[in-house]
Amino acid sequence: MTCGKPIELEALVAWWLGELAPDAEAPIEEHLFACAHCTARLEELAALASGVRATVREGRVAAGISVPFLEALKRQGLRIREYRVPAGGRVECTLRAEDDAVVSRMQASLAGVKRVDALQRVEVGGEVSEQRVEDLPFDPAAGEVLFLPSAAGLRKMPAHTMRVRLLAVDEAGERPLGEYTFAHTPG
Amino acid sequence: MERDSRLDAVDDAALARRVAAAGGRVDSEAEAELYRRLAKRVRLYGLRHLRDEQAAADLAQQVLLTTLERLRAGAVREPEKIASFVLGMCRMTVLEMRRGSWRREALLAAWGDREEAYEAREPLSLDRDRLAGCLESLAARERSVVLLTFFADKAADEVAAALGLSAGNVRVIRHRALGKLRACLSGEKS
Repeated sequence: MTCGKPIELEALVAWWLGELAPDAEAPIEEHLFACAHCTARLEELAALASGVRATVREGRVAAGISVPFLEALKRQGLRIREYRVPAGGRVECTLRAEDDAVVSRMQASLAGVKRVDALQRVEVGGEVSEQRVEDLPFDPAAGEVLFLPSAAGLRKMPAHTMRVRLLAVDEAGERPLGEYTFAHTPG
Repeated sequence: MERDSRLDAVDDAALARRVAAAGGRVDSEAEAELYRRLAKRVRLYGLRHLRDEQAAADLAQQVLLTTLERLRAGAVREPEKIASFVLGMCRMTVLEMRRGSWRREALLAAWGDREEAYEAREPLSLDRDRLAGCLESLAARERSVVLLTFFADKAADEVAAALGLSAGNVRVIRHRALGKLRACLSGEKS
């Protein structure tokens, strides 16, 4: 099963996501209907999209997200527990059995900020672990950084405290945007 | 009935001609093979245009059973252009489905009790543990772009607006992330 002139991956993705004009879609569709090789590649892309949806719904992945994405999760019926935390704030948080996910909404002044890194410090019992997440996505106009932790991972954790320090990073160096404390109790 | 592997060497047009040439008989082997191949393409077309698994499955059944019926009746003028014929049927049926003039009950009433119910292959599905691991291995921004893009099949301009990026930047990040995911899923080192 081969193809002499396979559709480029970028074009295939653009077609799948509806980014192309109708006159650019038609030749791709004609090719797909006559080509088992490119159909198989499209099937892989569709399986990836389906897998991503399932992985998110099952709470297996952690990521910085956006407000529209959070709304999309809710529209699909996921029960989301949200914690809005101001800079310097602390919140008692949990993830109950009936929740599908939890989202932290860290308020910060993001005007003019080019890049945001997060320093995460987790204390479980007496043990401390630290992690730096670089280049978290954010919408400068939103005034908050949204983070979706892995619900599946969180359910396995005992009571713990996580401190997140958001940093604005640019050519001149880095400056703190805020520190946020999440005191987590298992649900 | 076990599939004959020699069918791999037979192209779609030849299968369509076999179905059309069967006359009053039914060439079940050619029909089943043609159904199997085209069902995958129609389902994917349906997912892209209808964004709904059930609707895409209904589209595949409607289009392919109608196609087989037309081939048997000699009503497809150029069986060698079967791919174009099926694509045309897809476009027309999707329009009907969007207009709301298509009814699932009519499909079931027309085809539900037919003996020759051909099976489409199960859709490809990824190992979710592996996918979750591969997603975790992406950089934070790449992972977010992949999730925001594919969770609800959003175009680059929508993802860009949500993340304060340009659409071009999102396409670059998306392309790089997809390359890494494909390598990770296939076990290659990126």
